[in-house]
Amino acid sequence: MKLNGVSIDDTFAEAFNMRGTRVFITAQNLKWAYHAANAMTGFSTSVIGCGVEAGIERELLASETPDGRPGVSILMFAMGSSVLMKQLETRMGQCVLTCPTAAAFSGIDSEDQISLGKNLRYFGDGNQISKLLPNAKGENKRYWRIPVMDGEFLTQETTGMVRAIGGGNFLVLGQSQPQVLAACEAAIEAMKKLPNVIMPFPGGVVRSGSKVGSKYPKMFASTNDAFCPTLKGAVKSELSDDIESVMEIVIDGLTFEDIALSIKVGIEAACALGPHNGIKRISAGNYGGKLGPHLFKLHDILNGNLSSEVEKA
Amino acid sequence: MSALTFTFKDAVNRIIDCKKLTPDYLQGKTIDTILSIALSSQLTVADVFDVQGNDAATLVFKNTTSQMHYIGYRMKTGSIMIEGDAGNFTGAEMQGGTLICKGSTSERTGDNMRRGLLLIEGNTGDYCASNMRAGTLGILGSTSAYLGYGMKRGTLLLSQNPIEQATWLDCGLHTLPFLNLLYQSFQRLDTQFAQLNNQRVRRWMGDVSGLGKAEILVLQA
Repeated sequence: MKLNGVSIDDTFAEAFNMRGTRVFITAQNLKWAYHAANAMTGFSTSVIGCGVEAGIERELLASETPDGRPGVSILMFAMGSSVLMKQLETRMGQCVLTCPTAAAFSGIDSEDQISLGKNLRYFGDGNQISKLLPNAKGENKRYWRIPVMDGEFLTQETTGMVRAIGGGNFLVLGQSQPQVLAACEAAIEAMKKLPNVIMPFPGGVVRSGSKVGSKYPKMFASTNDAFCPTLKGAVKSELSDDIESVMEIVIDGLTFEDIALSIKVGIEAACALGPHNGIKRISAGNYGGKLGPHLFKLHDILNGNLSSEVEKA
Repeated sequence: MSALTFTFKDAVNRIIDCKKLTPDYLQGKTIDTILSIALSSQLTVADVFDVQGNDAATLVFKNTTSQMHYIGYRMKTGSIMIEGDAGNFTGAEMQGGTLICKGSTSERTGDNMRRGLLLIEGNTGDYCASNMRAGTLGILGSTSAYLGYGMKRGTLLLSQNPIEQATWLDCGLHTLPFLNLLYQSFQRLDTQFAQLNNQRVRRWMGDVSGLGKAEILVLQA
């Protein structure tokens, strides 16, 4: 299969079940909402070393937020509910409570509720104030007002936790490092416009794709040597002579369809640069279908079939 | 479904105890049963009110006066709209729901209130919010003596300055974004409170003769 002259491998991305949540961060203006959101989603590229994968989903208009101030929406994913709860609470305490004018609200409904400001209220040392107020749908929600030095820290008590999927991906293979990076940047710009997904790595792009296992017993993952261009002649490489650089875009999302659409939009944007800009091939990372229950088949997705999920038996 | 409406017949000049006329108590009752409910001694609902409607979760009192005490007493859910004045203990011991009074109320409004939203568009009498434990009580008109006497927690939102008291501490002027949330919750209600948008308030904490964790927020021009 070719898209704008770029070869699309007949392969699939393999993804895993995760738990996810969405938080709205508001502030006096977008600048300070971003300060809080960037801190909260910092050091959250991979669950392997960070506990969670998190990112900014989109900006919010003042008319979209509970307190009528501008803000941003954050998505956060973890492999289990306990890690997600712990990380959310820690990041709320260190990144949002501390940020001038910032407030935090639930951004997703679910029967499963996890603490947002529920335990942070004790920072108020007895001076915290609870308010049970109806939202736009008339459902009562509990908020906490915690006295802080700039005024009050306002936070909703809980937010929703939902089942989600992490690890959707595709690889961009090209003639040079700058050309592959340019294609990835184009892909990320297009993918950032979609709801319900984040690309958690720096700038949305990761260069250190990994394989399972290592020659060193203590390492459970190591560099994906089959896709490392400098090892082409020395290992069982997946790369042809004309490939000098490979980068990966990893996607976490709320549903299979969200991630599939994101992969489609991203690949189309990357391929739009075409072979004359050095973009030669698109592939995807998987473990032979043995580990993750969600398989994103590139050909199916690019043919518009966004719900072609193959559940493992 | 239309709101269960109690229209005062104006033929009674005694105190009327409205404790039983709450959404919780009236839920599932027929009009005939409601008309036979005893209010004050020797007075039934039929003696005092014309009753219409069938939605017990939404009560409306029309043509009311300050003779009617205990409207909304211990209400837990639903809403009550008072289109007129109300007497003592309006919204006393409220445990939830919304009570709006278009007129003025007498003494002990919101006494021992625990939860819910109580909005008075007119004035209130002495001991308003006495011993209040939580919830939100808004007053657009004037307040009287002993406001928030023994109040423990909860919020009093006032549009006019209260009489200063030694057991309430002035915490200064503030702009509180939380008020946007509160105002948004007013938007779905038929009340003048829905027009509020001012986040600038003077904050008082009290009643420090007791727990002292309650607040009075006075809207600034």
